Amino acid sequence: MKSSRKNIGIALLFLAPNLLGFMLFTLVPVLLSLGGSFTTWSLRPSVPLEFVGFGNYISLFKDKNFYFFLYNTVYLMLGIPISIAGSLALAVVLNQKFEFKKKNTQVRNELFLAMLIAGASMTLWIAGSRNLALVAFTLGIVALLGFRFGSISYRTMLYLPFFTAGAGTVLLWSQLFNPNFGLINEVIRGIFAVLHINAEAPGWLTSTKSLLGFLPLPSHFNNGGFGLGAREAIMFMGIWGAIGGNNMLLYLAGLSSISPELYEAADIDGASNWQRFRHITVPQLAPTTFFIVVVSTIGGLQGGFEQARLMTEGGPAGITTTLSYYIYTQGFERLDLGYGCAVAWVLFLMILGITLVNWKYGKAEVD
Amino acid sequence: MKREVQLFFKHCGMIVFVVAMILPFLWMAGTSFKPHSEVERASLVPDSPQPQNYAVVLKKAPDAFTGKFLDLDFGRWYLNSVLIAGWVTALQVMTSCMAAYAFSRINWPGRDKVFLLYLGTMMIPGLVLMLPNYQIMVSLHLVNTYSGLILPAAFSAFGTFLMRQFMGGISKSYDEAAFIDGATHLQLFLEVILPLVRPGMVSLVILSFMGNYQSFFWPLVMVKDDYLRTIPVGLLSFSGQYGQQTELLMAATLMSVAPLIILFIVMQKQLVEGIQLGGVKG
Repeated sequence: MKSSRKNIGIALLFLAPNLLGFMLFTLVPVLLSLGGSFTTWSLRPSVPLEFVGFGNYISLFKDKNFYFFLYNTVYLMLGIPISIAGSLALAVVLNQKFEFKKKNTQVRNELFLAMLIAGASMTLWIAGSRNLALVAFTLGIVALLGFRFGSISYRTMLYLPFFTAGAGTVLLWSQLFNPNFGLINEVIRGIFAVLHINAEAPGWLTSTKSLLGFLPLPSHFNNGGFGLGAREAIMFMGIWGAIGGNNMLLYLAGLSSISPELYEAADIDGASNWQRFRHITVPQLAPTTFFIVVVSTIGGLQGGFEQARLMTEGGPAGITTTLSYYIYTQGFERLDLGYGCAVAWVLFLMILGITLVNWKYGKAEVD
Repeated sequence: MKREVQLFFKHCGMIVFVVAMILPFLWMAGTSFKPHSEVERASLVPDSPQPQNYAVVLKKAPDAFTGKFLDLDFGRWYLNSVLIAGWVTALQVMTSCMAAYAFSRINWPGRDKVFLLYLGTMMIPGLVLMLPNYQIMVSLHLVNTYSGLILPAAFSAFGTFLMRQFMGGISKSYDEAAFIDGATHLQLFLEVILPLVRPGMVSLVILSFMGNYQSFFWPLVMVKDDYLRTIPVGLLSFSGQYGQQTELLMAATLMSVAPLIILFIVMQKQLVEGIQLGGVKG
């Protein structure tokens, strides 16, 4: 069937519902946002709408806070490479065979394990350590699932943090990071006690320290010195949520499409595990990595809104305010839509620039 | 034998890692059963479990600590979240499938250019759109209404893209056979193509429902009245106006996450398929 004009009518009928919504809620807002960034557009009725040319952009480049919040945004993105590397490592491990060769070994292992769990958790419970009993019980359940269903059960459980990510898990982590009674500092204090270390547990969300706190940054960056602070807490949560998520699934899909002949050839040449990983797995996965890096960078530059709104209100001292939270506060707290749009467009141009650079150099690497 | 031992230790390593990853959920479940006096104690299992916390959150019982009923309507928010996510998903799947059909099975001049425009807008950050979209909602008098929460999310370029990927994989010989039998485009769409892309529709349903159930930003700015709140926005009131009541917050959080976990366990196969198709081939 050839492309013909009389098809336009029928095509439009199919397209109409989506196209109308697309125009009203995507195309028109894009144009409004671009146009609005050159005006004094405000939600306050008292402010008259005036064209100010590049006024908003000029004040933005003079805005000290803009650079501070850009630094925060980029700082939080430092967690991305860690989580991508983690996803790759998990995918490589989970791509291996997890089934026992002999059926009877497996059944024996499972029976043995089931008894071990029951015994251990009951002993611990009776001995009065109910927390350890719960942990032992959970270990046992996970072990049974793992022995029975192999790699797929681990994948499923590791995907949970990603799948449930949202306001709920953000609030959960804000409790886990509570310096006084949160789970994380309890564990840290426990470790300190065992090792006889006399040190304070980190302040996490209440602290302005950061791992790059030794850098001589401008004073309005509110640098609290070297240590673990609010930004590390948010990064930590991000890694927890992303490591077993979509990235791992994409890597697993990539791994399963690598031809086994490549590995067989490497075995004949007597390559070590590391050499196989370095010279076959990594290059073969380059397209997947490229895709993940592009998507994560775009997401990272826009990120941090929920964390700032739900965990920290952008604080302490503004160190967790990212550009997305800044746009929100400009628009909905200071009601200054024009300025907010200007920030959004500068952010968009940065995303576009980085994506194009990625594309140009990344594609060359991949090919 | 050596291989079996190695395998055993590999399992052990994985098991410890997985438990460490789900420990936060255990802590959440444990804390949600604690009485207020035990919240600050370092333990996973409460000494005297208090399942009434759930009744308190659902406003079926007064809070044991303050002696009052909570001034919020969690059940209603639950319903709102499911209702809004359900409507958005239904509309998204319908409009995306229709548009994908126009982009993949009908030949018309300018088709690829329009599709490129769709793809291009997927790159524009939601942040650029949110301020003008709010203004549009103000002009349409849709702020603080169900329509205002549903409509802007109901048309998805991503959904169109995903469904086009699935439809592209169907042989054109179906179309030819159908047209020889005198079928119209509508019949081809409804009776041949849609049944064939059912797996794609299922993935889109899961992705879209999950995304909109968790949607935080849009309800946050659109909703002014309590009764319209969705769960993610509603969770805010547990840490705010009632003082810090961690045990109630955790009970509410667990209830908000539970439907997702169930959905995930039931639908995981289709979900994985959708992610890998949308990601790898994209």
